[in-house]
Amino acid sequence: MRPFTLNYAYRSGLTTMVTPYSFDASRQLNVLPDGSPAVSDRDLLMAAGTTTSTAGSATHFDD
Amino acid sequence: MTVLILTSEEDVTADMVVARLHETGTPVVRLDPADLPGKAVLSAEYAHGDFGGHLSVNGHVLSMGGLRSVWVRRPGEPAANAAHPSPWLTAETRQALFGMLYCASTRWMNHPRNADQARLKPWQLRVAHLSGFAVPPTVFTTAPRLAQQFAEEHKDVVVKSASGPPPGEPGMALPTTLIGPDADFSAVAAGPALLQRYIPKRADIRLTCVGTRLFAARKQAEPGQVDGRYGETEHSWEAVAVPGRIGRAVHEYVSFAGLAYAAFDFAEDGDGTWWFLECNQGGQFGFIELETGQPISAAVAHWLSHSEADRRVRASQW
Repeated sequence: MRPFTLNYAYRSGLTTMVTPYSFDASRQLNVLPDGSPAVSDRDLLMAAGTTTSTAGSATHFDD
Repeated sequence: MTVLILTSEEDVTADMVVARLHETGTPVVRLDPADLPGKAVLSAEYAHGDFGGHLSVNGHVLSMGGLRSVWVRRPGEPAANAAHPSPWLTAETRQALFGMLYCASTRWMNHPRNADQARLKPWQLRVAHLSGFAVPPTVFTTAPRLAQQFAEEHKDVVVKSASGPPPGEPGMALPTTLIGPDADFSAVAAGPALLQRYIPKRADIRLTCVGTRLFAARKQAEPGQVDGRYGETEHSWEAVAVPGRIGRAVHEYVSFAGLAYAAFDFAEDGDGTWWFLECNQGGQFGFIELETGQPISAAVAHWLSHSEADRRVRASQW
């Protein structure tokens, strides 16, 4: 018997996000192709959705 | 003195704080425990009654004697990226890393032992009540009859997961869902079910607590919207003032829980009452800062970079 709560789980259909930035080990943060920090582009961060309340909840439930 | 950030490389929210620390010239080392061993090297020594320890990652070096604070953000599982990962390697690496870090005299945001307790939903509700928050009636039960009785008493009830969606199943969502007393509760016997009286809300409230600083944001709810994390609406987050009573309750809560950081979720009902739903000890703040402009990452960086002790939250509880 499937636990009651799992009856309300569903596949969200979300695919893995391809983020337009990469990690710079020397600067210890993510950078855009032009070398500027990803955090300098607010619109990009909003569009990427990687700061949302559920971002990372696949591995962390501390949303 | 160096700040240690435990998080994954792709954690762009952590970047917001790293950038702030760079601006203030605060040394920082960023480590994903998944990269130990591998990109990271660790060594802890005990000799002649003295303890010493060092971490290096990507050319950045940190000594335990120079550890200013630790921010536990979105760390991967220890040794997950090792050439030959295994449960044993993860266990050994966790022993080495956290065993060493716990020996250092430092401040944690948040200390893992406090974080583990703070993640327990039933415990959250109890502490919330003791702190003075309004808490919706809730039951967490494996007894179908009790679940049925609860739903019959409160009519509109939501079911929510305490631990989130099933791990290891990417793409699975488990939002808070509205159900009624006509649901079939027999499967409650197959696993604990967390049911809570539904609070018809006119807004979601997200309150982020960083040390003693509070940042509250409000997003108007769509009629009938149950879980504010799911479903796009036309509304965005806006900064709001923290009512005095709520602020006092927040300080009580984080003091009792031993937390330096916490993200509270409230449902604002039609009367304006903020009902406590949960407290996320590692909750996201990036989306709030991006929409409201509230300087949360600056507050986090400030807390991490200041060496004076936060008397309200001890570095080590025991």
